[in-house]
Amino acid sequence: MGIFDVMGPVMIGPSSSHTAGAARLGYMARLIYGRPIKKVQITLYNSFAETAHGHGTDLAVVGGLLGLPVDSPQLRESLAIAEAQGMLYNFVWKQNLAQHPNTARFLFYDIRNGNNRESGDGSGTFSITGNSIGGGNVRIIEINGHRVDYSGYHDVLMITYQDVPGMIGFIGDTLGVRHINIAYMSLARDAVEATAMAFLKLDAPCPPECADVLRANPNVFNVITINKLGDGI
Amino acid sequence: MNMKARRIRINGFTDIPRLMSKLNVTTLPDFFILSESVNKSMPRAEVIDKMERVLNALEESIVGALSQPNNTESGMVAGGASLLQQFSAAGGSLLGTAFSQVICNAMAVAEHNACMGRIVAAPTAGSCGVIPGALLTVAERHHITHERLLRSLFVAGGIGDIISIRASLSGSTHGCQAENGSASAMTAAAIVALFVDDLSTIESAAAFGLKNLLGLTCDPVGGLVELPCVKRNVVAAANAVACAEMALAGIKTVIPLDEVIDTMAAIGNSIPSTLRETSKGGLAVTETGQRIAATLRDK
Repeated sequence: MGIFDVMGPVMIGPSSSHTAGAARLGYMARLIYGRPIKKVQITLYNSFAETAHGHGTDLAVVGGLLGLPVDSPQLRESLAIAEAQGMLYNFVWKQNLAQHPNTARFLFYDIRNGNNRESGDGSGTFSITGNSIGGGNVRIIEINGHRVDYSGYHDVLMITYQDVPGMIGFIGDTLGVRHINIAYMSLARDAVEATAMAFLKLDAPCPPECADVLRANPNVFNVITINKLGDGI
Repeated sequence: MNMKARRIRINGFTDIPRLMSKLNVTTLPDFFILSESVNKSMPRAEVIDKMERVLNALEESIVGALSQPNNTESGMVAGGASLLQQFSAAGGSLLGTAFSQVICNAMAVAEHNACMGRIVAAPTAGSCGVIPGALLTVAERHHITHERLLRSLFVAGGIGDIISIRASLSGSTHGCQAENGSASAMTAAAIVALFVDDLSTIESAAAFGLKNLLGLTCDPVGGLVELPCVKRNVVAAANAVACAEMALAGIKTVIPLDEVIDTMAAIGNSIPSTLRETSKGGLAVTETGQRIAATLRDK
């Protein structure tokens, strides 16, 4: 850990896992989705579902989706803010022992004429699942059916593309000539749709210019960059 | 600073005198500032600045907590700090207003947390009232300088870090002793550091603080950070003051701090899971506790 892991976070109570962690999951889901949120379904599992009411888990998740940090007093009024901003949301409460005790799943709707090339499944939805793993720390474990492991401590690049040979080389070269080192990389494929998603943790942020070069490749459907989370988020 | 400086490894309090002489620092706050700076590759000024923000948030948490009565929907938190304030103001204090301020502020911040107030989870949200209640009150009453108070927070954080290395700060791992027990140990050590630099005095205060709360289980009613959490903050704050005063009087711990921490972990490992934040035992399953939980579920 470190002294500031002990002396913090500064947060809205009452629970680091059920409030701060929940807000951070919403915040990270917003970053990963990367577009204005019009409509989202939030499924809270297990302990998150059982004690959401007394912990403000629902308020925290929605607040995070609105971009509020974990110490924002506005988390308390997040539902009204969402309404004012026209962000539609609904909650589903579930028990599923196969899931981590504190799990939230986000299902975003309405992407470009209902034809969602990003998820590759044509459903018009974009899904993200994450766990609140204690002390306000979280882990994103799923994006559009692809397994990932992301806690916000790295700069991230996610690319969805047509699964054709040479794409990894293209991605590596594009980063390499800009002196951006890859710390970690995982690949997931959808055999039916012949799409793939590469999930990369980088030692430096992927600049917009670099993301544009990746996007310009005709096989690339979608590029998402996330800068590592700073303090208080 | 040299960004490639070698990591300073701290496995326990007993390592510290040796590391301090090797690194040529003379006080515990300076040691923890340096180790944080080296281990996190952060300039010293940034480390200090970060702690300034923590101190600011701690002070704000008291102001926010005392600004209105804190009540929760469950009814388990019902403006306790407000009642304490009124009682003390009416001359009811049993031991003078200083002690009343310690217990009132600890309760207020813990209640504020339960009501979605802004707090510092130091070390956890469930024990967030202990440092502001005890340390900040003692500092205020003794007109301690801002710098000295700020430095004492590094002692609190450093002791907490050692506990997290050897054991855990989480109620779901080791029960409430790991949350309010650790908070009390951290606070007792920090209070001592407001007045003296002596390592063994600081160590004794931390060891007393933790020893006195060994064995505490985590059995919150309805899974909420309310009962018994809020009043445990009061007890942990009062304990911290008593332990700091014992240490400052020259009483030495017989069992070294590291061994007390290891004992906390050993006890924590033998606490059944029903008493580690699962709300499946203890106060949570009393007749009244279950009734409150059932009412909350129906909402």
